[in-house]
Amino acid sequence: MAIISRRGKERLIKYLCFLVTTVAVIPLLWIIGEVVVNGVSAINLEFLTSLPAPFGESGGGIGNAILGTMIINAMACLFGIPVGILTGMHLSEYDLTSRLGAVVRTVVESLSGVPSIIFGIFAYSLIVLTVRHYTAIAAAFALGLMMIPLVAKATEESMRVVSNDIREAATALGIPKWIRTTKIVLSIAKGGVLTGCLLAFARISGETAPLLFTSLFSFFWPTGIDQPMASLQVLIYNYAMSGFENWILKAWGASLLLVIIVVSINVLVRSLTKPKYKGGA
Amino acid sequence: MANNIAKLDIQNLNALFYEKHALKNVNVKIPDKMVTAVIGPSGCGKSTFVRCINRMHELVPGAKVSGKVLLDGVDVYGGMDVMDVRRKIGMVFQKPNPFPNMSVADNVVAGLKLVGTHSKKELAELAEERLKSVGLWDEVKDELKKSGASLSGGQQQRLCIARALAMNPEVILMDEPTSALDPASTAKLEELVKKLKNEISVVIITHNVSQAARISDCTAFFYLGELVEFDETRNIFEHPKNPLTERYITGRFG
Repeated sequence: MAIISRRGKERLIKYLCFLVTTVAVIPLLWIIGEVVVNGVSAINLEFLTSLPAPFGESGGGIGNAILGTMIINAMACLFGIPVGILTGMHLSEYDLTSRLGAVVRTVVESLSGVPSIIFGIFAYSLIVLTVRHYTAIAAAFALGLMMIPLVAKATEESMRVVSNDIREAATALGIPKWIRTTKIVLSIAKGGVLTGCLLAFARISGETAPLLFTSLFSFFWPTGIDQPMASLQVLIYNYAMSGFENWILKAWGASLLLVIIVVSINVLVRSLTKPKYKGGA
Repeated sequence: MANNIAKLDIQNLNALFYEKHALKNVNVKIPDKMVTAVIGPSGCGKSTFVRCINRMHELVPGAKVSGKVLLDGVDVYGGMDVMDVRRKIGMVFQKPNPFPNMSVADNVVAGLKLVGTHSKKELAELAEERLKSVGLWDEVKDELKKSGASLSGGQQQRLCIARALAMNPEVILMDEPTSALDPASTAKLEELVKKLKNEISVVIITHNVSQAARISDCTAFFYLGELVEFDETRNIFEHPKNPLTERYITGRFG
């Protein structure tokens, strides 16, 4: 019969889970630790606010890449978040059963699995090849496109879990459907929607491939959104492979900055997903 | 009942879900400022009947309605904007459904706050007045900022009634409003229903026959989608004309 007692099995599974979790977490902590150890010495005021030093010289900073990433991400959000939320709203409230809804849902789901380089190539062939120069607009377009399925899915799912009783209550009060959708259902679902937006933002903050095809890089301050623009991701890519000590240090610093951004977004998400009202939904 | 004016005059009302004939040629006059109970076994069309009155039935996929529902002589199917119909004919549901994203006070005035252009002061006054009319004010006056979902089940249901009353409806429909409540909350709600009829007409579905006897002036008995009998509650319970009615109220089926 049983070689190991029930208690023994209980313990075995418990310790196995613990062991595997530890093994999985170690490399993650290792990466973060490595980035912190190597990057922390690079970070100072000059690093955050000045332009890169010319090749071969020490000092300088990555201010232009920080500003560039902020501009590109902001433009991507401006495009990706509204489109994503409206798509999710459409799927949850307006198009539950039709064939178009099914097609849109499948497309949204597949898009979130498409490699980011495909979005880069798409933006490259659509915009960069048309205007014949690298431009930050194309980068924002590619990243925004990547955000749409993530935001749409989060919006659809968190709106759909809102009970139908709530929709009936609103309808019975003579509240028009669009007000019900935006001010009641979306408002109840806003925690989930916000989480989706932040996670989508965190996701694009680390993407490099789409930027290589679109905004490329610049050693100067951004001059216009239709120009090539520096970004943290491409800076890391360029500098880490340069073999030049000062630049490699800058790449570590930039990596640390990216890790800080992504981790703080995740911490923010965790604190935001706590319910607003005690005992409420 | 005879000397009371009909608030709702329902004529040849038929309702369908796809092929299923849920309501068959219902004709009834609901009196003004009285409580009308709607009773009958599960699946007899009580809910469908009530949902046809404020045009909620048509929202279900596959639903069809024919016939007339006259509110003070005006057909709610055709003579009025559907949003106006639902503002004039309020509804309270089986499960309390306050908006969890809104405070207690905002729940009461939700219908006006989201649609109309009322000042904050007007809304606050209205919220207080309506919470008082449902007997909830003393219980929640210090918790007006808390979520509507944080109240107890019975309080939530009275909050939902206050929310419906805030629209100044002429009729209020209640779909088994006490079935999710404990006996004490049920008793409070029944008192409230009796009080409400001084101002408006109440149509209340109930599974509880003795509740219908306690609180209603008139009773409609439905069976298999048909209105079997409609009369003053006293007559229904003391001298039912139809043997089916008698068997149902004495608990022999349903």
